[in-house]
Amino acid sequence: MSAVAARLARSLTPPRVRVLFAIAGALLLLNLLSWAFGAAPLETLAEAYSGTWGTGYGIGQVLFKSTTLLFTGLAFVVALRVGLFNIGAEGQLGLASLGVAVLGSRLPANMPALVAIPLMLACAIAIGAGYAGLAGVLRARLGVHEIISGIMLNRVVDVVLPWLLVAVLGAVSLRTANIAPAASLMKLSAVVNSLAGSAASIAFPLAVVVVFATFAWLERSRVGREFAWVGKSPSVCTAQGIDVPKRRVQAMLLSGALAGLVATGTVLGYEGAFELGLGAGAGFSGIAVAMLGRTSPAALIFSALVFGTLAQAGLAINALVPREAMGVLEAVVILLVGAVAIAAEPETPLTEPVAPKVSAP
Amino acid sequence: MNQAAEHVRPEGSRGSGPRLALALATRLFEDRVAVSSLSITLEPGRIHALVGENGAGKSTALKMLAGVLAPSSGGVLVDGEPLAPHAQAALDRKIGLVYQHFMLVDVFTALDNIMLGAEPVRRGRLDRATARARAGAIATEAGLEVRLDSSVSELSVGEKQRLEIVRVLFRGARAVLLDEPTAVLAPLEVAELYGTLRRLAAGGATIVVVTHRLDEVVRFADEVTVMRRGSKVHHESLSEDSRSGEEASVLLERLTRAVMGDEPMHTLTPRPLALVAAPLLELVGLSVDNAGSVDNAGGVDNAGGVDGASGAADGSDPSTRKQASTPKRRPAIVDVSLAVAAGEIVGVAGIEGNGQTELVRALAGLVPLAAGMVRVNGDVLFTPELAETTAVRVTRARARGLVTVHEDRHAEELVLDATVRDNLVLGELAQLADEGATQARRLSRFAIEPANPAFLARQLSGGNQQKLVVARALDRGATVLVLAQPTRGVDIGTARVIHQAITDAAASGAAVLIVSADLNELRTLAHRIVVLRQGSIVGELPPSATDEELGRAMLGSRKLPNSELANSATPKSDVRLGNSP
Repeated sequence: MSAVAARLARSLTPPRVRVLFAIAGALLLLNLLSWAFGAAPLETLAEAYSGTWGTGYGIGQVLFKSTTLLFTGLAFVVALRVGLFNIGAEGQLGLASLGVAVLGSRLPANMPALVAIPLMLACAIAIGAGYAGLAGVLRARLGVHEIISGIMLNRVVDVVLPWLLVAVLGAVSLRTANIAPAASLMKLSAVVNSLAGSAASIAFPLAVVVVFATFAWLERSRVGREFAWVGKSPSVCTAQGIDVPKRRVQAMLLSGALAGLVATGTVLGYEGAFELGLGAGAGFSGIAVAMLGRTSPAALIFSALVFGTLAQAGLAINALVPREAMGVLEAVVILLVGAVAIAAEPETPLTEPVAPKVSAP
Repeated sequence: MNQAAEHVRPEGSRGSGPRLALALATRLFEDRVAVSSLSITLEPGRIHALVGENGAGKSTALKMLAGVLAPSSGGVLVDGEPLAPHAQAALDRKIGLVYQHFMLVDVFTALDNIMLGAEPVRRGRLDRATARARAGAIATEAGLEVRLDSSVSELSVGEKQRLEIVRVLFRGARAVLLDEPTAVLAPLEVAELYGTLRRLAAGGATIVVVTHRLDEVVRFADEVTVMRRGSKVHHESLSEDSRSGEEASVLLERLTRAVMGDEPMHTLTPRPLALVAAPLLELVGLSVDNAGSVDNAGGVDNAGGVDGASGAADGSDPSTRKQASTPKRRPAIVDVSLAVAAGEIVGVAGIEGNGQTELVRALAGLVPLAAGMVRVNGDVLFTPELAETTAVRVTRARARGLVTVHEDRHAEELVLDATVRDNLVLGELAQLADEGATQARRLSRFAIEPANPAFLARQLSGGNQQKLVVARALDRGATVLVLAQPTRGVDIGTARVIHQAITDAAASGAAVLIVSADLNELRTLAHRIVVLRQGSIVGELPPSATDEELGRAMLGSRKLPNSELANSATPKSDVRLGNSP
């Protein structure tokens, strides 16, 4: 029985197909969940659909949520290339968002967008990279594990952000002043009218371009290729003259820069300011996005859209089912993808793959 | 398995081993045919040798016999009955495989490794006493001396191998299959290993050995099967008469031809005399601490090196001094001075674990010096005073033209999960002008099979991995070559090509230092051979030195005849590990 299932799963090995499998399973579970919560199963599904891909507004909201996930997912992929686990994206994007909002609110009123926006991007990149670089240097030079330092640095941001807002900036409402209009990014609805009212901005196409560019750089550039080698075998790279600590720090810097770019979608493209909790959680969801879509830019974009859809659907069905049901669903998607991936592996007794058939003459 | 605790009787004394056979067995990997319609029968009570070039399918055939790989078609027969395709089935049929790379848990003791997966249990608790008694009885009967209570990381290579054999016997194996067991052994250990295998065979066990070394086959095997490109091309039974003298050399020649097929025989051109030239590579009073960890990828090295330096300098016995404070940190290299001139090839002989690994790692810049100095072409390359990162040292060694081949290709040479294409240029992206041309040149240098640069390095056989490593090193424009086990696991034909390439490199002005466990290799290539024991150079011999002379230098004054060594009551590992008497 299990052999048949395994063979079936093996024929469905491409990651995209696996994700589809997982989504089908998740939809089934959504129906079960809503039934358990006393709502009509298909009604919940219909509500979730119309709240996401069913309307122009819904699509825009999905794109907005996916923008954030694209940046954090990509940030995680980059760190993973050198074998590091950037769990600190949460703190990096929080700090960068605040920094961007503060800088944006203090720009001279007559500064043109052509200057303001690159300045904003540079600010997001610098703060994100700087904060991630801290964890990178701790790991590469002192051997402090990046997961431990990442979690700690997240906690530091958790307390530093409200303190900065209240004690330093005097924003008792836990919200910064609005950024200069020149620094804000154009809404997508200005180009595509049907997205009207949604939070999607040109940060989404920007994120897509960044994803493709980063993957291309990882595959083709000298440093990008060495990242992958370092991730696969640091001891070999050391012996072959690749500066492993340096590559690790560089990867963390890039990873943090990408996490910092989350601020484009939230602060610059939507809120026009920073308030406590903006973009929160994306750092962790990005890990799931990366795990599903780390193989190629297309897979990563697809994966971000899936999780963006789930997040938006959670809001849409809130009237029928508690929003947390979608959190359950996200977790189930991750587990299902993992399970399908494992089922697709050939059975491996000891070290070598064994062909399923055997016959004696 | 729990019942195993009840009897302490050694497994070795039980009747005849199984008759193993492959019947028209074919095995494919993806589309590649590794073994094609192979039929062989292996009778108990004999030592069977399976020989052939890299990628001839020897290891695949062995793994099919051991139930680790299933044939794509055809069958495996044990005493005439088909074998189910999983390793447990093979264990049930008393077949045990000793892998080429040891499958041992380094932090466990030898005894725990023997028990692992077959633990005798008494009242829900591990029964070490029973296990110890059984393992001890098995070891004694087979003449396999292993220190059961030492952790595996402290055992020598030869001892680990004996431990692997004891382990399969502990599980009741009556057929012992060994994949290139002698690749890592010193000559004395090889003779010892075959002594053990002979005893097991005499007791009725079925012994199958995959090897590259035809001289071993001639000296020790009862039957030999030669494979080429997945098929059997030659089989013969060997008699006692053909083990030495004229007949032996005729047999060796016949086997060599069978292995190589119609490939041209390469003969090494006579090497030029050592030139009277200024030394290119100089080691002056070199001392190196035993760094322990291999993965010391990052950071500035700690001050351990400085500590060791003072120890060596003040003349106290560093080995006892170090052992007193931290038992596992013996200085690996002690006060070694050596000069290698341009055009000269110097061989380093020694029993494994006497500082060869650390010497090579230090010359590559992977570990800091504790004392002394390394000079290349008259300029200082390394001294212990500089607190530098590993990356800085390694890069400088490269920049000065010092190229290294390390003995552990998985830990230091190949990113196994990267493509062959990437591995061909690892760490050189900044220097190469034309990457594609470089890759093509290196790929074809020793005819890597399959010649597909998109394969992962992991998918190459061990010998082809080694070809890649050596081709890359010899193509780096070295002025100083430091090569550890350059032809380990490589077939005869390729080994000769590699030897020729090394000789050519020296002839064109490189200084070459070769560390090898293969004394014939050293004799073939080197202008002189230095012997390393306990981290020091204890002698220098001409390449004409006999095994006996080299062996005496390697073992020191405690040279014993083979038979005595094998049955010695004192743990001979003392000799092997090179501890002071």
